[in-house]
Amino acid sequence: MILTPKILARLIVVGIFGVLLQLTFFSQVELFHVSPDVLPALVVCLGLLGGTMTGAVSGFAIGFLLDCLLIQPLGGASLVLIAVGYAAGMFRERFEIHSRLVVPLLCALLTFAAELGFGAVEAMFGIDTDVSILVLRDILIQSAFAFFLGWAIYVGLRRLVRPALVDEATVRRTRRPTVLGA
Amino acid sequence: MYRKQVRRRRAVLALLIVGSFALLTLTYGQGSNGLQRGVTAVFTPVSTVLDRALKPARDLINWVDETFDARGKNDKLEEELEVARKQAVGGKVALAENREYRELLGLSKSGAIPEGYEPVTGRVIGLSPTVWYSDVMIDVGSGDGVKQGDPVINGQGLIGRVTAVTGGASKVTLISDHSSVVSVKVVPAGVLGIVKPTVGEPNTLVLSFLNSDKNIHKGQMVVTAGWSSEELESRFPPNIPVGEITKASVIVQEAQEKVNVRPYADLRNLGTVQVLTGGSR
Repeated sequence: MILTPKILARLIVVGIFGVLLQLTFFSQVELFHVSPDVLPALVVCLGLLGGTMTGAVSGFAIGFLLDCLLIQPLGGASLVLIAVGYAAGMFRERFEIHSRLVVPLLCALLTFAAELGFGAVEAMFGIDTDVSILVLRDILIQSAFAFFLGWAIYVGLRRLVRPALVDEATVRRTRRPTVLGA
Repeated sequence: MYRKQVRRRRAVLALLIVGSFALLTLTYGQGSNGLQRGVTAVFTPVSTVLDRALKPARDLINWVDETFDARGKNDKLEEELEVARKQAVGGKVALAENREYRELLGLSKSGAIPEGYEPVTGRVIGLSPTVWYSDVMIDVGSGDGVKQGDPVINGQGLIGRVTAVTGGASKVTLISDHSSVVSVKVVPAGVLGIVKPTVGEPNTLVLSFLNSDKNIHKGQMVVTAGWSSEELESRFPPNIPVGEITKASVIVQEAQEKVNVRPYADLRNLGTVQVLTGGSR
């Protein structure tokens, strides 16, 4: 991804809007008694479109804003989302995305990892109460939500940052001209 | 050139990780810092507007979820209604008695709000997204008289307490959060205990007894006891409804000195809440 000031501004708006939408909408709706967590999926998509650096930096920034708005200890969410963004970016740099299933699957897998990561950060500071096995069920359902929402987020983001995508520019340049009347 | 790029990338990653750990170390255990107060001051109005704008969409999705949930609950509810009717008759008698006692003792007739507390009404404007934390953000803060440690209730019962405050917003840690401990008593049995949550089951709290000479039964009410100890950071005012006993087998009670409690408040669907400001803490 070629980061121009215009693209950077778009990414910042996407990050802020994503966090606000998560807190005011997704966290307050329930399907099968679980609220979707779209932020790991958003960071995964940014990592897949922009590479390791975009993924890690956006993970840090989104986590930082989330912690600020929830008045939590700063850095916890950032730490997890940096790892998620970096992993998605690494995937993008090492492998080609051949199938349409790759993005949703990656979103689901990394959301699962992120939720476990949030738990690990919390465990680092001590969990005094019992942890139910149902946590695992909730995390699995959240991963399923990420699978379905991931593709939509990816398509939307791709459209938003299209001018900055290197492969997209190459495709546009190499497209065959249309011959009128042929 | 490529190696230089890789080195730069790794340096940025290391910087971000070290930065995150440094922030965690510096801010852990603090209520709120200047940066968070600034950020929440900027984004609280936006969150409030978004929250109101998205309410119809949220309600629609929650309605779908509740419709699925409601199927099969009908029979159970009819049974509960039968029991509730009987209790209502008893309740009316108790209310009349209560009114007389209050007048005799010269107490306030306010009822739900404990003496000396001033309720401040707020709206939930944000919820933590992960299954590990149970925090909500509300749109009232120190500017409205809210202080750290204030109890928070809604029409159904106790919700939690304020754990961080900024000028126009506060963080409420729910009773389903793993850090929550509430001193309670079971009425009418009079058994004292503490209620703790189970991570992953927001509709199940665990009541551990402190005095277990009496057996308690399913359906009995659990209210706040109003006392504190070293383990309990904040004291809740007495007699706020917390929940009802859902599982109370005699064998489990005697062996583990624990029973399950279902909170009255629907902790995943909170809208308007009341912070009880003032009072003794």
